[in-house]
This record gives sequence, C-alpha cells and structure tokens, in this order.
Amino acid sequence: MNAGDRVRVERAAQTYEGVLLPSSTPEHLVVKLDGGYNVGIDREDASVDVLESDVYDVESAQDEQSQSAIEFDDDLPTVSLISTGGTIASTVDYRTGAVTAQFDAEDVLRAVPDLAGMANYRGRVVANILSENMTPAVWQDLAQAVHEEIEAGADGIVVMHGTDTMQYSASALSFMLDTPVPIVFTGSQRSADRPSSDNVMNAVSAVEAATSDCAEVLVCMHADESDDRCALHRGTRVRKNHTSRRDAFETVGAKPLGEVDYDIDGESTVTFHREYAERDAVDLALHDDIETDVELLKFSPGMDPSLLEAAAEDSEGIVIEGTGLGHVNTDWIGTIEELDIPLVMTSQCLEGRVCDRVYDTGRDLLDAGVIEGEDMLPGTAKVKLMWTLANSDDVADTMQEPLAGEIQQRSTPWL
Amino acid sequence: MTEYDYEELGLVAGLEIHQQLDTATKLFCDCPTTIREPEESERSFTRYLHPTKSELGEIDEAALEESMVDREFEYLAYDTTCLVEEDDEPPHRVDREAMETTLEIAQLLDMSVVDQVNVMRKIVVDGSNTTGFQRSMLVANDGAIETSAGPVGIEDMLLEEESCQRIEETDDGVRFSLDRLGIPLVEIGTKPDIRSPEQAREAAERIGMLLRSTGKVKRGLGTIRQDVNVSIEDGARIELKGVQSLDDIDDLVRNEVRRQVELLDIAEELAERNATVGESQDVTEVFEDTDSGVIEGALSSGGKVQGLLLSGFDGLVGREIQPDRRLGTELSDHAKRHGAGGIFHTDELPAYGVTEAEVEALRDAVGAGPEDAVAIVADDPETAELAIDAVAERAETALAGVPEETRDANEDATSRYLRPLPGAARMYPETDVPPVEPDVTEVETPELLTEKVDRYEHEFDLGSGLAEQVAYGQRWPLFEALVAGEGVDPTLAAGTLESTLTELRRDDVPVGNLTDEHLKGAILLVDDGDVPREGIEDLLTALAENPSLTAEAAVEQEGLGGVDESEVRDAVAEVVKRHEDQVAEEGMGAFSALMGECMGALRGKADGDTVSDVLRSEIQKRA
Repeated sequence: MNAGDRVRVERAAQTYEGVLLPSSTPEHLVVKLDGGYNVGIDREDASVDVLESDVYDVESAQDEQSQSAIEFDDDLPTVSLISTGGTIASTVDYRTGAVTAQFDAEDVLRAVPDLAGMANYRGRVVANILSENMTPAVWQDLAQAVHEEIEAGADGIVVMHGTDTMQYSASALSFMLDTPVPIVFTGSQRSADRPSSDNVMNAVSAVEAATSDCAEVLVCMHADESDDRCALHRGTRVRKNHTSRRDAFETVGAKPLGEVDYDIDGESTVTFHREYAERDAVDLALHDDIETDVELLKFSPGMDPSLLEAAAEDSEGIVIEGTGLGHVNTDWIGTIEELDIPLVMTSQCLEGRVCDRVYDTGRDLLDAGVIEGEDMLPGTAKVKLMWTLANSDDVADTMQEPLAGEIQQRSTPWL
Repeated sequence: MTEYDYEELGLVAGLEIHQQLDTATKLFCDCPTTIREPEESERSFTRYLHPTKSELGEIDEAALEESMVDREFEYLAYDTTCLVEEDDEPPHRVDREAMETTLEIAQLLDMSVVDQVNVMRKIVVDGSNTTGFQRSMLVANDGAIETSAGPVGIEDMLLEEESCQRIEETDDGVRFSLDRLGIPLVEIGTKPDIRSPEQAREAAERIGMLLRSTGKVKRGLGTIRQDVNVSIEDGARIELKGVQSLDDIDDLVRNEVRRQVELLDIAEELAERNATVGESQDVTEVFEDTDSGVIEGALSSGGKVQGLLLSGFDGLVGREIQPDRRLGTELSDHAKRHGAGGIFHTDELPAYGVTEAEVEALRDAVGAGPEDAVAIVADDPETAELAIDAVAERAETALAGVPEETRDANEDATSRYLRPLPGAARMYPETDVPPVEPDVTEVETPELLTEKVDRYEHEFDLGSGLAEQVAYGQRWPLFEALVAGEGVDPTLAAGTLESTLTELRRDDVPVGNLTDEHLKGAILLVDDGDVPREGIEDLLTALAENPSLTAEAAVEQEGLGGVDESEVRDAVAEVVKRHEDQVAEEGMGAFSALMGECMGALRGKADGDTVSDVLRSEIQKRA
C-alpha cells in the first residue's frame, strides 16, 4: 500500500474508497475520495484493500511534462530570473502538509505565463530554500551568480526570494555589487498554489522594473492591498513590516523610490519619485568578501549585560538595536568599554536617526567607543558591518558613510 | 403543468442543502457573522485571480471557463471584517462552535463522523472568494431521513465557509461584499434516492426541520439554499443551483424533467432530419441598413454580426422546453455567458426590427434552406465570435440530447445555463489549517422541533397551534429560558412571543428592534405583576420605538406601572357615578357595558380581574 494507490478502507460500518495520499500524522490514513475531499481514518481500526496500484504519481503530479518553448526575440531585453526558493515558487508538500519551494526559474515562467513577451529570459537556480534558512554564504553565491549573469549580457536581474529575510539579501547585494543594471528582488506573500497569489503581479512588475533605467538593488512587492501597484523599495531601506499582508514591505524613513502601475493586459508602467543610479553609470564589480561573525542584539529592559559579553566572545563586530535615540541601560557601559570590537548603535524606533549626544547615557556610550549608526535599519547595519569588516580599513568611517542609500543624510521622510 | 409518469421516465433526484450556522464568530476568524449594507463599507480593494492545478495535477473545467476572461474583482470591507476575509492573513483554526453544531446535525441525520476532518480548498475563481477557493471539509457520511415515500439516504455533510455576497457588475468585473464571506455553512448532500417532485420537496422540508432543531442555524432570506440534482433516463445529470424557496422545489423538478423530455424529443427529430451545425460566418453585410436597434447599435460602435447555419433546425429552435423558454433561450444563455447580449434566430424572426427581407438575405448568405435555422450574434468582433462559437457548441450537444451542466434556478421555477458541471479535480488541501479530530462523545442530540411541539402541548398546556408557532419560530430558546429558567407562565411567554408580536408587527410597530433582553424584561415585569397583562402591548411598542430603553425605564417613562386598588376604585366609582341611572335601572345587567369603559379609563394600567371585582362591588353598593 503506497501513496497513489486506489484503495478501499473499511472502518466500523463505514467504507471509504479513493486514492491514498501521504499522511501528515502516523495515526491516520488519508484518502482522497472521488468527490475530491480528503478524510483521515484511524489506521489502527481500518482494514485496507488496494484496488489498483499507482493510479496517481502523487510526487510528480505538479510537474509539467512539456518543456517551455520560448523563442529569443532580438528586440526584447534579456532578464535573468534567479531563484532562491520561497513562496513565489512554492508548492504543497503532501508529507508534511507544509508549503515548500520546488520550482526552478523555468518553472516560474510556466507558472506565470504573463511574463512571456516582456523579455528574453535566462533561468538560474542559486538555492532552493525558504528565506528563514538563508545564510551569508548564500548571499555570496547569489552575488556571484548575479555578477556572472550581468557579465553574460543580462539587461536586468530578477531575484525570486522568500519574503522573511529578503531585506537582508537585498542589502547584502547592495554592498557586494557595483551594478550597471537593475537587480530586482521579488517574492510573494500568498503561495503560488493559490488563485489569489500575488506572485503573478509581483513577478510581472519585477520584470518591468528590471528592464527600467534604475540600476540599483530594489525590492518589488505590492504597494497596497489591491492588485494595482507594486512599490519599488531601495534594498537597503526596505523592511517587512507585516507578517501576512501583500503590502508588508515598506521603505523606512522615506517614500518608496518608485512604483510599477500594474496593467493586466501588459501595459504596466514604471515611475520613480526620486533620483536613482542610472543604467550603465558604473562598471560591473563584485566585492563579495564578508565577515560572518557579526551579531545583532536587541536591547530591552531587564536584559543582562552578560548577554552582550557572550555575543562578543566569538564576534568581530556587534550591532545593537537600542532604545530611543540609541541607548542601553547605563549598567552596560562598563561592559561596552571593555569590548575591543566595533559596536554600532541603531534604534528599535526604526524611524529616525541615532544621536548619542543628547543624553548622558548616549555621551557615555560614545566615550565607550560606540559608532552611531545614523538612520540605518538595524538589519541593514548588521549586513553592512559584515561587509565593512571584510572590505574597509576604517570601520567607523565606512559605517557612517552612505554607500548604497542605506544612510540618508537629510531626514525627509515625506519625500 | 404536464404531469409525467416519473417512475417510467426514470427520474432520479438528489438534494444539496446549504445552511448558514448562527455562530458567534466566523469559521476561520473571529469576526462576527453579521450581514451589512454595502453603504456601510469603509474601504475596498481590487484583485485578480489565476487558476492553479489541484494536487493531482488537473485544472478544473469550470475553473478554466471562469478564467477565460480577465476580470477585476472589487471587495467591500467593513468594521466587522478583518484581514482573514481579505486573504491577507492566514485562516485561524476551525471555529469550535461551528464544528460542534455540525456534529449535532450529523447525529440528527444518523451519520457517521470521520476520524480526522481535513480542510480542503475547493477552487472557485469567479471572485466570490478572495482566496480563489472555498475552504470546505467533509465531516460525516452515510445517514438517512424518512419521507412518506420511503427513506432518503444522506451521502455526506460538509462544513465550509460561505462566499462573498455579489453586489453588482462593474465596468471591469464584479463587486463583492466581504461581510458574508466566512460565515459557517453546512452542506448536506442526499443520495440520489428521490423519485418524485413531491418527495424532493418533502425531503428538503424534513432536512430544514432537523437543521432548525439545533437552534443554531441562521434564519431569513438567503440563509438556506437548496440545490437539486435531477436526471431522467437517457437525459443527463443537471445541478440546479440557488433555489431560495422550499415551495419551488417540486415545480423546479417538474420543469427540469420537462426540459429533458423536450430536449430528447428535439434530439430525436434532429437525428431524423440529419441535422448538422455549420461554421460561423460574418453576415454583417446583410444588416448594413438595418432598423433593428440592437444590431444597429452593435454595428455603429465597430461591431459585426456573426451568423451560424443550423441545418435541419427549422422550427425546433423556437420549440418551448420550459414555460416561456425555448431551445433558442438555451443557445442564448451560452452567448450571454461569453459576454454577448444574446442571440436572434430565424424561428423568432422577423421581429425586433429585423425585416422579412433581411431574414431572406440572411438565409441566402449562409445558404440556409427551408428546413434550416440561422442564429446570429451582433456585438464587438471578439465577443461576437466567442459567443457564436459557444452557441455552435451548445447546438452540437442538442443533436446528442441533454448536456450535463450546472444551471441557475429562476424565480418562476425554470432555470438557465450557469456553467459546466464541476469535476472532482477542483480540490486540494488547505495546508494553513491543521486537521481536526472531532470528539463525538461530547455532542448532545438536540430535541427535534416535532418533539418540541409535543412537549410544549403536554408539559406547558399550550394549544397545538401556539406550541407549533413557538417551536418552529425563532424565539423558542428565549421561551424555554423564560419558562424553565425564570418560572414564567408558559401561556404568557408563548402568547407574547408569538401572538402579541405578530399583532404589533401588523400594526407597523418596528418589532425588529426588540432584543431578547427587551422581551425578557417586559415579560418578567408582567409575570411579577408589576405591569398588568393588558399593558404589555404598550410596553413593547414603547421599547420597539425607543430600543435604547430597558423594560423598567419604559414602564417609568410611559407610566405603564400598575395602579393600586384605591386608584382602581376611584376610577370605577367615577364611571359608575356617570351612569348611575343605568345602574339603578339594570343593576348587574349594566356590568358588561361599564367594564369596557372602566378598562379604557385605566388605560391598561390595571388588570381585568381586579377591575371586574371592583366594578361588581360598586354596582352592588348602588343597586
């Protein structure tokens, strides 16, 4: 008896006939009845007859047999679709009942036929992981892959990424690459196996952005709850601010850099609201060295300074997410003074600039050697510190200098 | 209406009953199950839907047809809806109260409950669900109900989420309202054991009674919907959807049987005539100078007329198959389904501004002889072509007989084409909601309404009419709480909740404003003697007009409290004095004439027994 067999299950006076599916619990047999419903039957009390073996190949039922036949069109730009896994390219795992990523970039093209005719596509799989499993090593693989794709002639890059840590990967690529073409991250908040998935509109809008003139690392996701606009966020200023909404991503401290006005009939348009790095303004370069031993520590009342000591033990640098203007309990200052690694202060307010010159605690922190992280997002500051430690001789100086839009020198959140 | 010999025709019918549950919160979130007015909406958003494959790798035919046109769906949201309805938050766990009620219903229907309930996604891409699917779970199988023509088996019972209310068509798609989405809905499917129209109606009535016996189902328009599956031998399985009234079920079955009989007749005749369906062609030229408003309108906005030769169909397109519905109406339904306004066909022409000469020219243009019919669609070029192809496809199936399909019930118990029959492939698991293992041992079997009537008659001495009114009405839970919990006189409680409220409603008192609290307060005041029985109508009227008042406050405000005996005596004495001549003359004979006047003078503040006692003694004094 295997998943995919047609079975008859008898339990007490009841008979259930249908296709056996993989079960998520050991106690139950899950049978897909002819009406399409799944029911679970206590395995212990059931007697099973296999009526026919392998009626369905459950594992590969989702696989499309035909290959996509996409012709190259000289008049269209070339966009590289790079897949790292995540909801935009996910499907249901019948063993665990969870949603997992199983598609490569070619599958995305088949899953989102609306992409056809917008560009010539190159497909590439860098990873097949959910974004909570993302690591700095994968950021490096991703940066190298993007570098190779641009060298090979891609006019734009779309990175399909899980939404949970998309902002970290986008930041990493912002620091690792000097790019002459757009690098656009996109994903989806509703899995691709649902008719209401946001994957189609996000992917189409991301390709629009990737063929635009803005040669920056961008995140392209829904701008609001409607399927009408995608916001284009700068990779270093974006944050996932909601667990589940389509418009979870927001630019912190500014309006989004631009937007894609989505048109289901293929007439979408891209507009930008502020200055951006233009296409071909810089030569392609890769700086993918990174110091992985950096920690991000969020301070909260009652937190023992020994946690900081423990975090510092094997680290080359620490980012603190402090309170307000950039503070921690004054009892921490002694511990901080003794650290011989860079310590960057950011704020859990998220909005606004760190300023440790206003209150005594802040002044004491500066005296203890803390680097003010300006208005950088804490997650971005962590990625930047990792990169800076491997690429700069003057960490404090580099951390306070804007490299990829991560620091805004003028605070104008209304722009 | 023609009555057929249904047994000879091989009528087989089954029912699907959809009943909303009256739970505190929705099936997959904690929003109330309150219906709202579109004007109360606070915000809206728009979405598109894209069909996906089921876990067995098939795309459903019905889903595919829905997705042929890109449509924009607009959703109205309220302060009583949340992100779950908006498909912007994962569903919460299955609502406990809904599951318990479903298990109660399973017991009433004598069904066996599955060990593990799996939540499924049933693909629906017409926009009525923001997700593009309806969450649905099979909870129980294999039950039965009794009807006078024998038992009818119950195949299965589903617990699912109600879909959005459709508000209207918009320029780009459809506008829906989120208030109804997610209200728990049970779907009960019978086995195809029904053999006559009357039995279909009786089975539906029986299931309705069982559902209401739980006291946890919603009442009122739209809260229960019946679908009927009908087929006859050599006919086809037809799913008739959206029957709102129980009274229509038998007529609907009769009309569907007639439709299938007529379609089989037509198929036979078409076969004898060697009928065929031609290719569609552009016949715009024929109508270049037409006086037909419909055609002229389509042509002047850049449209065209597409014609279809139906060889051997002459006279049959216009043949009536249901009251005021013809084969042509069926063809037209399919054209409408693809965006056209409808069709014209030669069996009904000349008419609608189309002239005899144009009909002749049309026949010539497509090469139609006297045995043949021609159908036309006038619309924008793309729609005209899509629509005429759909007409051709439906005409082809007329050669074979009755096509299997889903149809929408019309108000006159006829029906119109809705979409192809849905297949089994439209299901896949809802992975966001873990399976539920229902505990049947904790479920109590509710008392049936029929048993309730019996008990009210014997235990509470209610007349059978009043007992039935209470039991089948919506207020029996309040009645039982008052009688069993508060020791209120059963006749007072029943009479007030049924007869009094009915009378007040007839007098245009807004009784809809009365809450259970109002009713309970008023009845208790009467039962305690604080307000005379005669005062309850005034009290309820006052509460209905000022729903913010409590019963006590209303008594105060309206001066409805009882009066003491000395006030009664004063009022009665005054009446007696006014009529002292009559009293002197008639003695006790004047009693009934004066009683009415005394009651009027006291304006319902004193109860009749007291007044009559006092009046009697006052008359005796004078006599």
